[in-house]
Amino acid sequence: MIHFNEVVLANGLRILVHEDPATPLAAVNILYKVGARDEDPNKTGFAHLFEHFMFEGSVNIPEFDAPLQFASGENNAFTSNDITNYYDILPATNLETAFWLESDRMLSLDFNLESLETQKKVVCEEFKEHYINQPYGDVWHKLSALAYKVHPYQWPTIGKELSHVENATMEDAKAFFFKYYRPRNAVMVVAGGVKTAEVERLAKKWFSDIPGGELALHNLPKEPIQTDARILELHEDVPLNAIYKAYKMCDRLHADYQASDFIRDMLSTGESSRLYNELVKEKKVFSSVAAYLSETIDDGMFIVEGKLNPGISMDDADKAIEESCLRLADTVTENELQKVKNKTEAYLTFSDTNVLNRAMNLAWYDMLGDPNGINREIDKYLAVTTGQIKTVAQRIFDKNRCSTVRYFAKNK
Amino acid sequence: MNRNIAPDIKTPDNIHLIPSQRVTLDNGLPVYVIDAGEEDIVKVDFVFEAGKWYEPKNLLADFVNRMMREGVKGKTALEVADIFEFYGCNLESNVSFNNAGFQIYSLTKHLPKVLPLLMEIFTEASFPDGEFSTILNNRRQKHTERLAKNDYVANRNFLSAMWGQSHPYGRVTEYADFENVTTGMLRDYYKQYYNASNCLAVISGKLNDELLKSLNDIFGVKAWTGATAPKDVTHTIAPNAELRLHTEKKDAVQTTIMIGNATINKYHPDFDKLVVMNTLFGGYFGSRLMANIREEKGYTYGIYSGLSSYQNGGILEISAEVGKEVSEATIAEVAKEINILRTEVVDEEELDTVKNYMIGKLMRSVDGPMKYSDVLKGQILYGRDPQYLNQYLKTIEATTAEEIQQLAVKYLDFDKMYKVTVG
Repeated sequence: MIHFNEVVLANGLRILVHEDPATPLAAVNILYKVGARDEDPNKTGFAHLFEHFMFEGSVNIPEFDAPLQFASGENNAFTSNDITNYYDILPATNLETAFWLESDRMLSLDFNLESLETQKKVVCEEFKEHYINQPYGDVWHKLSALAYKVHPYQWPTIGKELSHVENATMEDAKAFFFKYYRPRNAVMVVAGGVKTAEVERLAKKWFSDIPGGELALHNLPKEPIQTDARILELHEDVPLNAIYKAYKMCDRLHADYQASDFIRDMLSTGESSRLYNELVKEKKVFSSVAAYLSETIDDGMFIVEGKLNPGISMDDADKAIEESCLRLADTVTENELQKVKNKTEAYLTFSDTNVLNRAMNLAWYDMLGDPNGINREIDKYLAVTTGQIKTVAQRIFDKNRCSTVRYFAKNK
Repeated sequence: MNRNIAPDIKTPDNIHLIPSQRVTLDNGLPVYVIDAGEEDIVKVDFVFEAGKWYEPKNLLADFVNRMMREGVKGKTALEVADIFEFYGCNLESNVSFNNAGFQIYSLTKHLPKVLPLLMEIFTEASFPDGEFSTILNNRRQKHTERLAKNDYVANRNFLSAMWGQSHPYGRVTEYADFENVTTGMLRDYYKQYYNASNCLAVISGKLNDELLKSLNDIFGVKAWTGATAPKDVTHTIAPNAELRLHTEKKDAVQTTIMIGNATINKYHPDFDKLVVMNTLFGGYFGSRLMANIREEKGYTYGIYSGLSSYQNGGILEISAEVGKEVSEATIAEVAKEINILRTEVVDEEELDTVKNYMIGKLMRSVDGPMKYSDVLKGQILYGRDPQYLNQYLKTIEATTAEEIQQLAVKYLDFDKMYKVTVG
C-alpha cells in the first residue's frame, strides 16, 4: 500500500506527497501530459527534442544539471508516445534545490538558439545510434507505420525522420512550451524522507507564481479497427532473419488490459513460458523469441518477435507464432493462471521498493486518472479468470488485426 | 524569494549503512546477512569463484553457469523453471571475468519452497545433451547478432589488444569455440568450482530466524564442501604493439570509438582518488568530456570514461558513438581534454560539484537492503570491511585539485592508449 497526500495550488498544479521516513533521499518527479502523440505529423520527434531542451537553462538559472549535482543529486527524463517525465533524486536535506530548479524551468526557459541547435545535433546522433546504425533499428518506424494509419502512434518518439528534428525552430519550441508545460498540464510527485507540510510550503514558495495555463486537450483521431493482415518484407543488412508481429490490443484503461498482460507473461516471460518451450526448445524454429506490450494509453500493440534458426522458412515461422498464441486460448490452465498471478504479485512488490519508482508510478497513475490506481492494480490482476484469458487471447490473436514485419538477411 | 540565488545545501558527511552480520554455515560457507526493509521480499546472492579466469577452454564458465538450470536429477529444465516461476521467484545467473553467480529474488513467504531446488542446481545438475545442443545453437546465433553490432566489435578489439588472446580478459569468441565444448567438460568444471568451499552468499531483505535456519539446513551440508577448486591459475598479458585499430563498416552512419588502457584496480591505494579524477573527466553527465563533446559540439548522444576493477587488473576506457564525419575530431578532443587535465589545476567549484555528486551517488547506492547487498558484495570480494564506505567518503572529500592533476599525469597518457574505431 502506497500512501500519499495531495496538495493543489491555486494555479492548478497538483502535488502528491509520499512520505517514506526510511530513506534519507527525496525523489521529485514531474510528469507533463504531452508526448509524441501530440505532435504535428510534419514535425515529429519534437516532444523528445524538447525534453532535451528543458535541460539547457531556464529564465533565471543558466544550467540545470550542475546545481543539482552540486546538491548531491542526479536527474534524468524520458519521453514516450503519451508523456514526458522528468525526475530528480537527491538527499532529502537538499530538497529545496530541486524545487528551485524545477519551478524555474516551469516558469520559463532561456530559449537560447545555440543550445537548441546543439541539442538538435545530439538528438540526430541519438537517432542514428539507436534507429539507423543498429541491426533491426528501423523496426519501430516500420511497425508503427504499418499498424497505425490514422492515430499518431504511427511514428516513434524519436521522430519519423532526421529532417523533422533538423527543421525544428525556436517558434515551435516557444509555442510548445506555453501550450503544454503549464502547471495545469503537469503532475508533481515528491517522495521519500519528506514531510507533507514542508513540501506544501516549498511548493507554494516556488510554484505558486507560475501562470496556470490551460489543460491542453489531445483530440486524437481514433484508429479504425484493422480488418486486413498487413505484411511488410524487408531485405536488409541484418545478421539473422527475423519476424515482428504486432497485434492490436485494448487501451490502458480497458478491462481487458490485465488479462492481456497475463497473456504476454504466459507466452514469453521466463524459461517456463510457452513460446520459449514450444518454439525455441521443442520445434527449434527460433533462437530467441519475446512478447511485449507497447504500453500506450490509447489502443496499443501486442508484439511478438523472433529470430529465425537457419533453414526455417519465414512462412513456417509466422505460422508457428500464430498457432502457439492461439493455442493458449484453448489450453490455459488454472495452475498457469496462478503462476502469473504469483509472478505479478512479486513483480509489483519488488518495483515498490525503490522510492524513485514509487514516485514515477504515482505520477503515471495520476495521468491515467486516479493516483490510487497504483494500489488497486494488484486486485485487477488477481480478479482475472481463465475464461477471460481465453476470450481476450482469441480477440487479440486475430490474423486480420495483425501487422507483420519480416526481415530477410541479405547475403545469407 | 530570489530565483537567481540557489537555496543552501548540506552535503552529507557520513553514510548511514544498514547493519549486516557475517555468519558461517556448518560447512564453512560464509553468509552475509542484511535484515531490513518494509516489504516482504528477499534476495539471496551466491557468488562462486568460477569465472572466466579459471576456464580451461573459452566459453566453458559461461556454459556451465547457463546449463546448471537446464535440468537436475529427476527434473527436466521445464520442471525446474516451472517451480521457480510458479512461486513468482526470479532466478538470475551470470558469469564475469573472475566470478560466477546465482541470484534469487522472492517474496519472503515463498522462498523456503524453492531453496531446496536451488541446492539441487548447485549439486545435482544433469547437463542433458539435448538441452545443451539447443543452448549451444542459441548462443551461436546470439554471437552472429552481436558481431553485427559495432559497439560489440569495438569492445572485442579493444580488450583483445589490451590483454592478448590468451588472457581471459582479452580472449574473444570465435565460431570454432562453440564446437570445442562438451557436456563432459561442463560436468568436470561444475564439480571442481561449484561447491561450498568456493562460495559466499549475501542474503538481504525482510528475514526471519526460520529462514536463516533453513539456509543452514539446505546449503550448510558438509557433503557439499567438495574438492578444493584449483586456484593457482595464472595468465600472461600479451598486449598488442599497434595502438591504433580500425575496422571499416562501409554503410555505417556512426563510428564507435574506444580509447583507453589497462590500469590499476581496487587493490591499489590510488584507486579511490582515481575514481574522483575519472568522474570529473568523463564519469558523469556533467563531466568534461560530456560538456565539450556532447553539450558544446553535439558530436554524440553520449561520451563516457569508465574505470573497471577486476581481481587481476583494471581497465580505463573512454567510449562513444559519434557521427562518422566527426570521429577524428572527437579523438582529437579527447586528447585535448586529457592534456588539459594533466597540465592545469582544476578549479575548486568544479571539484566540489564532482565530490558532492559522488557522495549523493554513494547514498543512492546503499539505499535499501537489496541495493546495499550489491555494494556490500563488492566490498567483500576485495577483502574490505563494510565500514570501508565511510572511509571512501572521506577519501573523496579529501581529494585535492593538485592530486587530480598528479593522478592525470600518472594514469592518463593519451600516447600510450589504445584507440579503437569501428565504422
